[in-house]
Amino acid sequence: MTDEDEAAFDEFLAARATSLLRTAILVCGATHHDAEDLVQHALEKVYRHWPRIRHDNPEAYARKVVVNAAISRARRRRVVREITFARPPDTAADSPDLDLRDTLITELRRLPPKMRAVIVLRYWEDQSEQDTASLLGCSPGTVKSQAARGLARIRERMTVAEEAIR
Amino acid sequence: MKVEDAVAEAMSAHVAGVQAPPGLGREVRRRHRSRVVRVRTIGAALATAAVAVAVPFALGTGEPASTRHVANAPDRAVMDLVTVPDVTGKSNAEAIEILKRAGLTVKEPRIAENIVTQQQPAVGRQVGKGTEVQLTSLPKAVEPQDLGDLGDGRTFGGIHLGYLPEGLVWGEWSGKDGFGKKSYTTSFDEPGQEDGHYSVQVVVYEGDASERIAERLARYDDGSGVDKVDIDGRPAYLGYFTDGGETAGEGDTGATATIGWTLRDGLAVEVFLSPDYAKKADVSAELEKIAEGIEIAR
Repeated sequence: MTDEDEAAFDEFLAARATSLLRTAILVCGATHHDAEDLVQHALEKVYRHWPRIRHDNPEAYARKVVVNAAISRARRRRVVREITFARPPDTAADSPDLDLRDTLITELRRLPPKMRAVIVLRYWEDQSEQDTASLLGCSPGTVKSQAARGLARIRERMTVAEEAIR
Repeated sequence: MKVEDAVAEAMSAHVAGVQAPPGLGREVRRRHRSRVVRVRTIGAALATAAVAVAVPFALGTGEPASTRHVANAPDRAVMDLVTVPDVTGKSNAEAIEILKRAGLTVKEPRIAENIVTQQQPAVGRQVGKGTEVQLTSLPKAVEPQDLGDLGDGRTFGGIHLGYLPEGLVWGEWSGKDGFGKKSYTTSFDEPGQEDGHYSVQVVVYEGDASERIAERLARYDDGSGVDKVDIDGRPAYLGYFTDGGETAGEGDTGATATIGWTLRDGLAVEVFLSPDYAKKADVSAELEKIAEGIEIAR
């Protein structure tokens, strides 16, 4: 790794690290601390291959590593998932003062990890169906159907919450 | 507003305050340095093996005995093949012991308690005895310790667990307020499982949080697919639930077997069996036994 490689890596971090961390938080639905750990781990992988990948869209590579690590962490860490998400389905209706935004985030967290990743990549990062598919290593058709199902679930909850507020 | 826009806005708001911490680059590089303890790889051992085999053939039988003797010593030592065992998920200390027992070597010293994440050569490969295995390890993930050191983990949140299925040990973590204010949780697992895995998780709900359980008890009435059982004279629900709390069938993959009841006014408990553990346990019987063993701690 040359000095120039090192400097370029620092530049890359300065430009992209915050965005990667935000993606990780949204996709794995874990605490900031967990997400930071995950991003560090992913960036170590990027750093390892930096001289080879730095000229070939390192951001896409980093994003792929982060998203997939976030999905597998969300799948593996069942204890944390249940702590964060175990909630009776009608809590929203019981608490009319619950902010709609919080409701949406909670519903997002309750989606299966990969479906959540699709929603984050498509609607928060504004990635195309094609790009989302290549980041997740699945077909554009899967992205389309997962996005539709995820939104439908959230919409259903939103209606419940809104009715409660009314 | 369209739901995708609402979700996008909520996501933006949710992470708006998040910034990558300063010193991230330094931390990534530190991890990189500690990642691999580079050791002589399988290549060197195989090269020796190849020489050991090739030499006697090339030299033929008419050569002086001394040459063959030199060639034969490493021959026997190296060509004794062993299968590489799986040591990922184990601590370095355990991994080293297992590998040594299998006749393989590892370069020491290593941080004993770090967890092995990768190994080279891979599991199941046949390699020469004495081959050095290259291990990649990371520090054990830090689990939350909201309730501090719980000893054997059986007494927490005002309750005591009198019974746990055999072979389970405390998961060495505990969480507070994850299931509502004044809720406490911890888990038990078979030794050697990866971080975040659990077999039995117990949640204590105190005060307002206990209302949730009371509500569920009322909701899961006949016909909801949830059983009602009796725990020391108090009604309990016993069934399978998804992460979101919806009821699910027994066969649903990922659904969590759960028992919940109120121990006294303002104190309720839920016990989960992980989907993994449920496969090898008599689910209802174990949940009821654990529940019956739970009492208010003095």
